[in-house]
Amino acid sequence: MEMSAQFTVLCVDDEAIGLQIRKALLEHAGYHVLTALSGEEGLVLLEGHAVDVVLLDYLMPGMNGGEVAARMRAMRPGIPILLHSACVDLPADIRDLVDDVLAKGEGPHALLQRLRQILEAAKLAVKREM
Amino acid sequence: MNLQEFQRVLRQAFFVPILALLALAGVLLWQITSAQKAQQWLDHSDEVSAGIAELEGLIMDQETGLRGYELTGDAAMLAPYKAAVPLIARRFASLREMVSDNPAQETNLLHIEKRYDQWLSFAEGLLARPDTFSDRALNRHGGDLMYAVRSSIRQMRQVEERLRQGRLEHSIVLERREITVLLGGALLVGILLSLFSLSRLQRVSDVYQKSLGEIHEGREWLRTTLRSIGDAVIVCEADGSVEFMNPVAEQLTGWPKEEAAGHPLSEVFRIVNEFTNEEAENPVEKVRRLNKVIALANHTVLIARNELRHIIDDSAAPIFGKAGELAGVVLVFRDVTEKRRAEAALTASEKLAVAGRLAASIAHEIHNPLDSIGNLHYLLAEETDPVRRAEYLKLAQQELDRTLQISRSLLNLYREPNAPVQIDIADLIGSVLLLLKRRLDNQSVSVAYRPADLAIIEGFPAELRQVFTNLIINAAEATGAQGKIQISIHEAPSEELRGSGVIVEILDSGPGIPAAIAQKLFQPFFTTKGNHGTGLGLWISMGIVQKHGGSIQISNSTHPELHGACVRVFLPTRTLMTSLSRTTAYTG
Repeated sequence: MEMSAQFTVLCVDDEAIGLQIRKALLEHAGYHVLTALSGEEGLVLLEGHAVDVVLLDYLMPGMNGGEVAARMRAMRPGIPILLHSACVDLPADIRDLVDDVLAKGEGPHALLQRLRQILEAAKLAVKREM
Repeated sequence: MNLQEFQRVLRQAFFVPILALLALAGVLLWQITSAQKAQQWLDHSDEVSAGIAELEGLIMDQETGLRGYELTGDAAMLAPYKAAVPLIARRFASLREMVSDNPAQETNLLHIEKRYDQWLSFAEGLLARPDTFSDRALNRHGGDLMYAVRSSIRQMRQVEERLRQGRLEHSIVLERREITVLLGGALLVGILLSLFSLSRLQRVSDVYQKSLGEIHEGREWLRTTLRSIGDAVIVCEADGSVEFMNPVAEQLTGWPKEEAAGHPLSEVFRIVNEFTNEEAENPVEKVRRLNKVIALANHTVLIARNELRHIIDDSAAPIFGKAGELAGVVLVFRDVTEKRRAEAALTASEKLAVAGRLAASIAHEIHNPLDSIGNLHYLLAEETDPVRRAEYLKLAQQELDRTLQISRSLLNLYREPNAPVQIDIADLIGSVLLLLKRRLDNQSVSVAYRPADLAIIEGFPAELRQVFTNLIINAAEATGAQGKIQISIHEAPSEELRGSGVIVEILDSGPGIPAAIAQKLFQPFFTTKGNHGTGLGLWISMGIVQKHGGSIQISNSTHPELHGACVRVFLPTRTLMTSLSRTTAYTG
């Protein structure tokens, strides 16, 4: 609703309920939302869909957020990634892999604002390249 | 001086006086023999003199007989004359024999014999011619002859007298010498023996004095050592009465040594159980019963004379006499009140450290539902559709329940019942794994958990949660990323030295325990984790398990896939522990 063009967000989180609620929130904000319960699943979705931004959890069974981000960047180097985690001891080099890091629990306003910022930055970058 | 030397001195003291007295006796014997010989010579002179006197008497008798016959003509008068002839001859023979050793007297005797023979032939001639009896000239001649005989006899007698005199003097000299030698010898030997005994006694006495000095020094040294020792020492007689105390013991018991001496130990050394206040067994009785070194039971409190309480650690050892009988008991103890406080502080700090280790995981666990609740709250504010709102509220409740569950399990880590409770150990480990789930997931550590059906034990759940949290985190840290942990619970039937219980076995796929550190694992402050560990985890865990009556064994796994460490925790079904004896912070 707030966005004129509908962006597609890929949400990756192993917390099913949290993921479901986040999907409702983002849809309410006007995004098109894809959800994945693991990194592997997220990579499959990224390959098959036109994803504009990735909202990625860090602590997950199997592949963690860092690994997932690295693979996504390998697949699509320009893809904006917002790491969204409750983890308090993230590795220091994680910021090199993602566009931004947001702690879980900051609230829905912060989440939506960061998403917008990342998307705008990505749009500017795309324009500059053109 | 050794025993051999001492025996030599004893032998000297025995034999030297005997030899000295024998020598003295020999000298005296020689002296006595000389004196006896002198006496014999004196007797000999007397015999010779007597023989001469008898000879003179016989000759006189003969002459008297001859004179009487001459005057009276009576033949009976001649009887003495005739009777004397053989007697005189015999006397001459015996005298000759007697003086054969003396040439001078022999000559004198020959002289007498010759003159007597002259007189006798004159007398025989006279008797043959009775007509000449009155011839005066002839008679005078006979008188002269007799005079010559008698003068010779006198001469011989005088010589013998002089001889006797000389011998008498010699005998007297010898007798004096004998007395002198006796007295002098006795005095000399006495003095020498006294000096000898004195020197021997002096020698023994010197050594004795030296030994006494050494014994005294040794006693002083021991006394000083015992006085200087940091531990309290009480020495008891075999009957249990106090014999010696060092100053530390005096201070801890509040009894001065002089007053305590002779009192029964149980009066001076009052010990009770720290928690129940029940009187503890008298260590002297226990040593007497077991006849070996014993340590006091844990949680022993010594109550001083002024009712001050000290937590003590101690041991008691028997003192055996030469024959192996119990001669006494020595008690060594020390005040561990401060140590116990320090340990309690360490225990408390380790609890905090466990909380610290869990903090990240818990923050994550709580942030996830809180994030959802925040989102739901936003959506609820925007949403007007009642069906949607109801759904959001339901979801919010679910997420709140999850938060509560996590905070409750966190609280359970610290909240403790006052008495041991029935614990399903499988449940307990399940709840620990729940708390650790995130952390393990983070590392991609997979946990295979095989709980047993019936693993109910008595104990304190919060402490056991602490133990298993520690052990599982250790295993996870050992395996590293992508590691594997296997946790299994087995029933443990009772064995010879322990009752029945359960064994929790934790295997990991880490590198195992290097032999060099295996010994130190349970020591406080030993850590392989640098600044990330307190080094207290296993130490505290061991303390908790031991207080439950259990044990922890750490070895290297023999599992075909998991080659790391194998930790086996045995917990008895029934614990002897009371709520008071667990590791609570000491508040005395």
